[in-house]
Amino acid sequence: MRFTLRKFAIVSAAAAITIMMAHAASAQPDPRSKPAAPAPPVVVKGKTSALPKMVFFGGGDSERSIKVDPKINISLCVMQGNVKVNGWDRNEVRVFVSSGTTVGFRVQQKNQKTGDPVWIMVLPDSGEKNNFIPSGECVSGDEIEIDAPVNATLNLKGQEVSFVVDGIRRVGIKNAGGDISLRNISDGINATTYRGDLTVEQSSGAMNLENTSGNILAFDASPSEIGDIFRAKTTSGSISVQKIAHRQIEVNSISGTVAYNGDILNGGSYRFGTSNGSIKLWLPETSSCMLTASYGFGAFSSDIPYKLATENITPGPVKNIAATLGKGGDASLRLTTNNGSISIKKQQ
Amino acid sequence: MKQDCLDIGIIQAFLDGELDHVQTARVSGHIATCDACASMLAEAEDESAVVFPALEREFNTLVPTQRLWTRINDSIAVERENRPFWQKAWAFLSVGLMSPSMAAAAALIIVFGITALVMIDRQPAAVNTAKNVTPVVTSPVKPVVPTEVSTVTPKADPDSATIKTDEQPVRAERAVYSEPKRAVFKQPSDPTPTAAADTQNTYLPGEENYLRTIASLSQSVQNQKDATMRGSERISFERDLAVVNDAIDKMRVEVKKNPKNESAKQVLYASYQNKIDLLSSVSQKEELVASLR
Repeated sequence: MRFTLRKFAIVSAAAAITIMMAHAASAQPDPRSKPAAPAPPVVVKGKTSALPKMVFFGGGDSERSIKVDPKINISLCVMQGNVKVNGWDRNEVRVFVSSGTTVGFRVQQKNQKTGDPVWIMVLPDSGEKNNFIPSGECVSGDEIEIDAPVNATLNLKGQEVSFVVDGIRRVGIKNAGGDISLRNISDGINATTYRGDLTVEQSSGAMNLENTSGNILAFDASPSEIGDIFRAKTTSGSISVQKIAHRQIEVNSISGTVAYNGDILNGGSYRFGTSNGSIKLWLPETSSCMLTASYGFGAFSSDIPYKLATENITPGPVKNIAATLGKGGDASLRLTTNNGSISIKKQQ
Repeated sequence: MKQDCLDIGIIQAFLDGELDHVQTARVSGHIATCDACASMLAEAEDESAVVFPALEREFNTLVPTQRLWTRINDSIAVERENRPFWQKAWAFLSVGLMSPSMAAAAALIIVFGITALVMIDRQPAAVNTAKNVTPVVTSPVKPVVPTEVSTVTPKADPDSATIKTDEQPVRAERAVYSEPKRAVFKQPSDPTPTAAADTQNTYLPGEENYLRTIASLSQSVQNQKDATMRGSERISFERDLAVVNDAIDKMRVEVKKNPKNESAKQVLYASYQNKIDLLSSVSQKEELVASLR
């Protein structure tokens, strides 16, 4: 009995395999038959990009707006495109996407008194109510324009994105590749791009600018509170800093020139460094500070008179100068380069 | 110009990050001491600063070079060799079964095989039923009891001991000994040799922490950098790493020579920090890209 059952099972399995094989054989397309026509390509209007175009959810233009608290916090993730954010005097956020994702808003938090959103996320919208695409929270498009209240805070993430932000209170950006340009940011910047240039103009607050492969240019910036720090760092690129009114400035590059054109304020701490490049400073003729300069291969020169305290310029990988620039004072200026020259010139 | 001055081709290769670590260190060392070569390097850098932005688009199109093709082909060959047997078999079968006639033939072979198995299976079954099968009794294996430890000669071979038993001839068994784990600091696995390697146990205050961090970051970056960085970024990264390593090496030597040189110490710490920042940037970019997926 047991053996009969075993035989039956084996024969059944053989029959099943035979049927499956026959089915698989019949499922193969006949090599002589004409192949099916390919699906029409998705055509996305707009400028071309080096990256392959993604199929956007929607693919056309979309615009959404929402009434919000004046101090709204906006989070947005962008895969590809040009993002322009502009501050306006309305308590409303408007998002326009050209040739890209259909967007919507997800309210993360509301003001308990007014009921207005204080934190929103801009997300791809499937069109159905409360049904956002679960797999990705990033939008794409040729042009993405956002109008937001001037007191808004932006948290942006991007993959291949060019960001331009103007007239917003606070900005945090992380971009894998693409330029970042920030103007009129009133209360602090934290911006990182791993490939591309980073530009900051007419802004105030604490600033942390980081760049892996690209230049940093900061122009006309000031602290919004006492103790705000200006920090700029790139691994492969030059840094140019002009008219910065922060009292604590840290600028560092690994391969690139560092240039500073501005004042040395009382009580300030200024550090400029590069591993492989020159350091050039343009300072007012009346500048006063305690100066420390370390350099390896290269030379030190100053158009502003200085009084040497210690000097070690014997041949070797480190030459060192400690001096009083002008009348001295309580500001400190530290300059370090391993392979490059240091020059201090008078402002024109 | 000295007689042993560098060729402009070597300087250009140094700038482009095409030299290996040894050559890079040699060129860096030479440039640090040779004004003529340093000025040639500066000129080449200036030229690159003009040329690279103009050609950036072309560089970023990632045209595969012959070297890249060779590497890709090598990788494919290695992967093929390392593929498990069942994967190879499956690949062979799946290709063979694409043809309907092959599929039908395979089905027939399987049916024939199963039938043959059934037929073969029937014969021993019949024999089993006819015979009065006596159960096979397997004698339990007696445990080996060491009665006498004849010789333990740690001097001759500290890892082995000879054990004599009643039932078995004398045989040598390997004594199992594992050293207690000690908290030993591992040198960084960074392929670029730094001067830290030759100054064992003479770390400056806090230097060990820097080295430990660099070692762990280097390991993760080694796995990530191919996937994370484009060609031009990779070149910049390798060049920056060489610059930082060179600075670290020089400062280590200087500090070793003159431990009171505070400037050298500060530059050394700054260089360590630069290296950490450089390595971290790769991991951070990888994290950012992963968070966007």
